[in-house]
Order: sequence, then C-alpha cells, then structure tokens
Amino acid sequence: MTLLNLSRRDWLKLSAAGVSAVSLSGWLQVLASRAAQTPTKHKSCILLWMDGGPSHKDTFDLKPGTKDGGEFKPISTAVPGIQISEHFPKFAQVMNHAAILRGMSTSEGAHPRAKYYLHTGYKEGQGGLNYPSLGSLVSAEIGKPDGSMPNYVSIGARSYGAGFLGIHHAPLLVADPARGVENLKPLVNGSHFDDRLGLLHEMESAFYREYKAEASADHWTTYQRAVTLMQSKEAKAFDLSLEPSSVRQAYGSSRFGDGCLLARRLVEAGVSFVEVTLGGWDTHQNNFERVKQLSQQCDPAMAALVNDLKQRGLLDSTLIVWMGEFGRTPRINQRGAKPGRDHYPRAWSSVLIGGGIKGGQVIGKTDKEGATVVERPISALDFLATICELLGINWKKQNNTPIGRPIRIVDKGATPIAELLG
Amino acid sequence: MTRGSNVMRRTILALPLALLLLAKAPNVFGAPLDAPALARHIDEAIDACLRVEKVAPSPRCEDAEFVRRVYLDIVGHIPPAEKAAAFLDSREPNKRAQLIEDLLASNEYGKHQADIWQALLLQRTSDNRFISFDKMTQWLEKAFNDNKPWDQMVRDILTAQGDMDDNGAVTYFLAHLTPDKLTDNATRVFLGVQLQCAQCHNHPFTKWKQDEYWGMAAFFTKVRINGNPRQIARQGGTLVVSENGKGRPLPLPISAKRVPPKFLQGEQPQLASSDAYRPVLAKWMTSPQNPYFSRAMVNRLWAQFFGRGLVNPIDDMHEGNPPSHPQLLADLSAQFTASGFDVKQFIRALCNSEAYQRTSKPNTSNRDAAPELFSRMAVKVLTPEQLYDSLVQVLGAPNPENFRRRQGVAAAAAVRLRNITPRMVFVAFFKGEDNAEPTEYQAGIPQVLRLMNSPQLNNTTMLAPLLKSGKTPEQIIEYLYLATLSRRPTAPEMQRTLALVHKHADEPRQAYGDILWVLLNSSEFTLNH
Repeated sequence: MTLLNLSRRDWLKLSAAGVSAVSLSGWLQVLASRAAQTPTKHKSCILLWMDGGPSHKDTFDLKPGTKDGGEFKPISTAVPGIQISEHFPKFAQVMNHAAILRGMSTSEGAHPRAKYYLHTGYKEGQGGLNYPSLGSLVSAEIGKPDGSMPNYVSIGARSYGAGFLGIHHAPLLVADPARGVENLKPLVNGSHFDDRLGLLHEMESAFYREYKAEASADHWTTYQRAVTLMQSKEAKAFDLSLEPSSVRQAYGSSRFGDGCLLARRLVEAGVSFVEVTLGGWDTHQNNFERVKQLSQQCDPAMAALVNDLKQRGLLDSTLIVWMGEFGRTPRINQRGAKPGRDHYPRAWSSVLIGGGIKGGQVIGKTDKEGATVVERPISALDFLATICELLGINWKKQNNTPIGRPIRIVDKGATPIAELLG
Repeated sequence: MTRGSNVMRRTILALPLALLLLAKAPNVFGAPLDAPALARHIDEAIDACLRVEKVAPSPRCEDAEFVRRVYLDIVGHIPPAEKAAAFLDSREPNKRAQLIEDLLASNEYGKHQADIWQALLLQRTSDNRFISFDKMTQWLEKAFNDNKPWDQMVRDILTAQGDMDDNGAVTYFLAHLTPDKLTDNATRVFLGVQLQCAQCHNHPFTKWKQDEYWGMAAFFTKVRINGNPRQIARQGGTLVVSENGKGRPLPLPISAKRVPPKFLQGEQPQLASSDAYRPVLAKWMTSPQNPYFSRAMVNRLWAQFFGRGLVNPIDDMHEGNPPSHPQLLADLSAQFTASGFDVKQFIRALCNSEAYQRTSKPNTSNRDAAPELFSRMAVKVLTPEQLYDSLVQVLGAPNPENFRRRQGVAAAAAVRLRNITPRMVFVAFFKGEDNAEPTEYQAGIPQVLRLMNSPQLNNTTMLAPLLKSGKTPEQIIEYLYLATLSRRPTAPEMQRTLALVHKHADEPRQAYGDILWVLLNSSEFTLNH
C-alpha cells in the first residue's frame, strides 16, 4: 500500500504513531510511475459559467418584433427551425450537438444566493451546512481518487468549493489560463527536493501527534496534492504555449477562449470537471452592447471546443454546460442613458452540448415576452439531476457530513429531463 | 463542515445552559470590572460549563506557544527571534500580562485591526473596482490605535461626509453605493444579523419581514455623491459624499419597497423631510439600549481570539442560532457597554483569561470535546496578511523594484497608480472563501506551489549575515527555530538538523536553506496554535 491509498487521517495517524512504513525516498518514484499510466476513459464535464446572469432574450430565446424584444436579430442554425442570436454564428453551425433548455425556472434572484443554489442544488445556509458544488460532487463520484491530476479545475474565478466533502475535492484554481499553474518546478534538484520533503514529513507528523489539528491534516493533504502534480507528466496539459497560435485564434484569442482551450487540454488529460468563468453578464446598464461583446467571446470558443472534442472522439464523453445564475428581465429598464435588464430567475435558458445527449433540440418554451415558462419548466433540481444522470452519477445517493447527517447529492423533488437522454 | 457543528452544539449545550442560569453569577451590570476581574469572570463561566460536561480542560500553554499566539492575535505577525528568546528567558512573574500591554500599545495593533475590519467593511466588487481603499485603511488604523470608543467609530463610519482625502471613512459609503448593500453590510457587521434574505421576501428563519429590511435601507436614501464615481475617479477628481446635498439619488433595485425609515424590530422615528437620516440610524444602532450592537462586537472580538464566536457563525445571530454560553455573552455585552465600548480593555481581558492561555494540545479528556466548550485553544490558520507579515518578518521585505519588474510593463503603471504593493498581491492570491471559519485551512495547490517553489518566497539572503556571525551550527539552528516557530528545537530536532548540516559541511548555506524551507512550509508555521 502506498501513501496515496491511505486517507489523510489514516496516514497521519500511522505516521504519528511511528508506524510509517512509507519510505519517502521512494515516494516520488512511485508517483512518477503512476503518472505514466494512461488514464482510463471516463465521463467529463465542462461548465461554462456565465457569471452575472445572461439575458435569455438576447442569447438563446429571442422574441423578435415584440415589446422589449431587444435589438438583436435571430439567425438560423444547423438544425432547421432552431434560431438563436445573430451573435452566435459559429455556434449555430454545431447546434446539432446541443440542446437549448428554454424553461429554466428558479427561485433565487440575488447573485450570491443564486450562484450558490445553481452550483450546489441547495439554498445557502439551508440546515446550517456548507454544501459541495457540482464540481466537487463530480470529483468525489467519478474523479480518480489517486490520480496525479486534480479532478476539479476552476479557470478564471474561484467558484464554489467542496463544502462538507472536504478539501480533497476543492477546485484547483487557475486565475489566468495563459499562465497556467505557476511555480510547478522545484527550486532544487529532484533528490534534494525529496530530502526536504522527508524532513517536512517528519515535522508534520510530530506536530499532528501533539495537536491533532484538522487544519494540519488539510495542510499536509494539500502539500501532497501539489507535489503529486509537480511530478506528473500530465501537468503539461496546463501549458497553453504548447498549442499552435492558429488553435488559440480559433478559440477567439480571448481570456475566455484560452480558458476553453485549457479545458479541452485538461479533459484530454483526464480531469473530470472543469469550470470556465466568463464574467460581466450583470447588464443592468448598456445591455445590448455588453451582451453582444460577451456573445462574441463565447461564440468562437464554444464552437471550437465542440469541434475539437468531436475531432478527438471526446464529445460523447464530455458534457458541456452553458449557464449563469438566472436570466434577465423581459422588460428593458428605464434607468440611465444606456438601459439594461435586471435579474430574472423566473424564466431563463441554459444550453447542454455533447456528453451523449440527444442534440439538435429545444426543450421548453416561454411566453411571447420571455416572462413565463409555458411549456416544460425545469427547476434547478431537475437540471442538476439531469447533469448527474448524463455523467453516470447516482444523484439519489446520500453523502454523509462529518457529523453523520445524510445529504442527497440532489435533493428530493428532482426529475431528470427524459427528452435529453438518448 | 464547520457549519455542521451547530446541531451538535445545540444538543450538547442545552443542559449547561439551564445550570448556568442557576450558578451564582457576580453582578456585572453595574460599574465596569477591570481587565483581571473580567478575565476571571470569563474563566468562571467557561469552567462551570466544562464541569457540567465533565471535560477536563487542557493546561496552560507554554511560554513559546503564548508569545507566538499573542503576537499573531494582537499585532498580526510572529515575534522576531530576539523578542521570542527574551520572552522565553524572562523570569518576570507578570511577563504575560506585560507582553499583552506592550502589544496593545504598539501601533501594529491598529494595523492588524485595520486588516481585519477593512475586509469586513469593504468588499471588492466590479462596481467599486476604481475606488481606492487606502484612506479607509489608514482611518481604521488610527481609530483603533487611538482606541476610539467603538460606538463613536461606528457612528463616524455610518454618517461619514465630505471628501475621501479629508475623511477616509466615506470610503465605506462609496464602496457599497446602494441602500440595499449598505443595509446588508451594516446590519451584518455592526449588529451581527443577516438581514439580506428579507430584501426580496420575509426572512425564512426569523421574524424579520421584507418591510423591515426596506425600513432600514430607507435611512440611506438621502445620501448624495457629487457625480458618477467612476468618471470622477478616472478624471482624477475627488469623490464627495453628503447627506441631503445635491446630486442624483442612489439607485434602488426593482424589488425595493418604498417604506418610511424604521428601526429593525423597533419604532418608526418622526423625521422631517429636511432631516438627515443616517445620524438617526447611527444613534439608534450604537445606543447602549440597542440589543444587537454590543453583543455583535463582543462576539466578533471573542471569535478573533478564540477561533469561533460564542454565537457561531458569528454574524448570524438569531433565535435559531443560540450562543454556547448565553449568560457569559450577556455579561460581556453589558461590560463592554459599561466600559464605554473600550475595545482595548476588552481584548486585555480576553488575553489575560486562562481560557485564552490554554494550550491547543488536546488531553485524554477533551480530545473529542466540542470546540464550543473552549476546553483548549483553537488552532487557527494564519490569515493571508498574517502569513505575509510573518514571512517578511523572517525573510525581510521584497525589493520593490523586482516586484514592479515582475508585474510587467503593462501592469507597472497600474501598480504605481493604484498603489498596489507586493503585500496586496500576496493577500489577493491567498484569500480564502469569504465565510471561511478561522480554523479552516483554505490554501489550495497554487498557493502551496508558490510557498514551496517561488524564488521570491524562498529568498535566503537572511542566511548570509547569520553564517558570517561566528555562531556555531547549534546556535544558527536555534535562531532559525526561534525566528520561525518562536521556540527552540527539541533534542531530536536538533540532532536531525545538525546531521543535515554536517552532511553538507561543504555547502552550509544549502543545508540551512533546507532547514529554513522546511520550517516555513510546516503546519506549525502556517498555524496559530
């Protein structure tokens, strides 16, 4: 049994008791050989998080010719009968792999609470618990427990953490995709670094033996994960400079485009969940100029991502989710020189692509103003259960909190969207 | 995970609560007690609860734990090696109380409190990214160092007028800008309640109604700014905040209810249209009769030093989240009020208590005891500010020229313009979740990689003078332990590290560099235990 097969507490307990059978000098070699093994094929998820809440009426649920329908024109897509905003021309060409959900209907209208709800499926503060985000749940359910790569990577924003699942399922944050993960190389050579770790390991064990502090165990777990990553061959997946510039151009040469390209590289390297954030959708003011500009960042990146994954045979095993925390008001507000739209959770749109779904369809419908869902409403719970179902996760399963409270992955009351499951 | 322990606490402490009410409590509602007497009162209340639970507390901590802890808690960084050694070697019987006095008198006390309060009062958002927080930090630092009474400080913050250069406290208003955000922050930070749910609907767990939320928000509706903040900031102008002045009213969200100003769970004051509203709110909020104000600060300060509040989470005080020690919280609130809201005096009492001076090592009796029994000191994780200042304490400050170069040409202008420092960059990179418990380890892989592998945080120039000083290897190793962990190495540690030095006798700097690297990357360094 190697170090990495032990839970952090077991391991620290053993070390603290002086029973450590692990030879540290051999540790890094073990990691390196593990890293060389090819990852088994499994499902992955890329969440394109549109922070701030995108206007559904100006992206994927246009209402041309109606009051407050807005400035944008609809365009046809690769699927006859499905129209989307004119600012998604490239994505329109891959519509056959996507399903637009126009019946999203949720209950939280303030950013922090809505983001929390859509990431975790639970209301913030509910029952006094800190719930795991979707990325952490995926990491725990289908991630590789002892892989060299992290199972959950968040690009461009901190996103939401592991809650009661613990730090092992917390996201690895990449602030700037072009810079990847910084400080990956040790300052001293391999065996010298190994010596340092050996001494550090002794100090950690001695401290834990006396203080039994949870924070100390979490500290060491994080160090182990960081060292594992340093030693792994897959870590080069984080290096975008290895991509030809033409590929980066295809993704739009934006920070979000770089994020999507990095997401593709990480999925190829076996990462289970990648979240890429594009902020700026909170368009209370100047809605049309801003949504146009944001759509133009999304469009090439999403289309290139779909095409790349398809070309690599990974589209069926990779579910792409495009969503924000809510939609925006059907009415255009009257504030300021350049008006906008305000928060609107009652009716909005999200998009699912790949992952083995039945593509080329629109599910759900809003009324002529985009104000109310008139057909096939989808709750946050339905939506999260659907994602789980598509990733092969038993969403009715209960996880235990540290004090033994059973908490379902998705709370009661969810029905997965059957139309998507091919 | 940490929030889950609420349930446990409620069951465990239901019994002692009743017993505590029966216990003979000294009358602390009259004249304020001096710090030693208040410290004794804290210990009586905590110990009574421990007796009921049949939990034996951990013993008093060693001097080495104390000196590191009290430095981190009061001035925000670890002690310099020389100060730690002097404290360990001192035979003054009163040396702990004296150190608490010295640290409270240091200007670094205000700097540390300003770090804590700036993070609570001003959150960076996309709406305020062009507003500098520096003036508010300076204002807070001075107010804490002057030991301005807490009620006065809060009134000054809530009613601040004028331009930012003259009155840094107006930054509070400018950072939030809308009545709803001001209401959310002021009620959470100063009153310890989470009112924001009632913005859109009646609060699910409390008696607060949506009208009460907007009644509180209404107090902020008469404030005016001298124009668009972003434009003014871009043009290098000065932002001026005034009550009842000229200018556009602040925007309200669509869900806003238009109701007259009314105090939370209180009356509706008679106000004329020409009256300034904020001073009326500030007077009510900070009044000795306000049931929330003193409790909220007492609970917050308790949590700063003990790692969790008597009510926890600290800013969610409502019927469904009762205190672990209700009588103690009531007594401390009354005392804090009676002292004229004297923050330093309260901290003095906390730090002089036996409860604060316990070791954080568990014993056989308390190793599984609930943390809210305070049977041993909590192990807190260094905040990003504490970690940075402690690293600088050991390694020396980074070279500002190198820092500017690393930020790149494009960012260099921004670095000068917005006065961005290496400390700010470090803090932003290591900042954890907003609502993280102080005992929760929050750093992730990128942070750990930076600690292990960045040249800037592994600068060993401090070793050069040490190697030339004529010290023996034992003395150098001892110095490194004192400088990082505020203690001397144990015999096995000395043996182990000496062996390393002898093994690399031809490259002593490498060997000491290894030891320094291990010490700085250890749990013991990154935790306040």
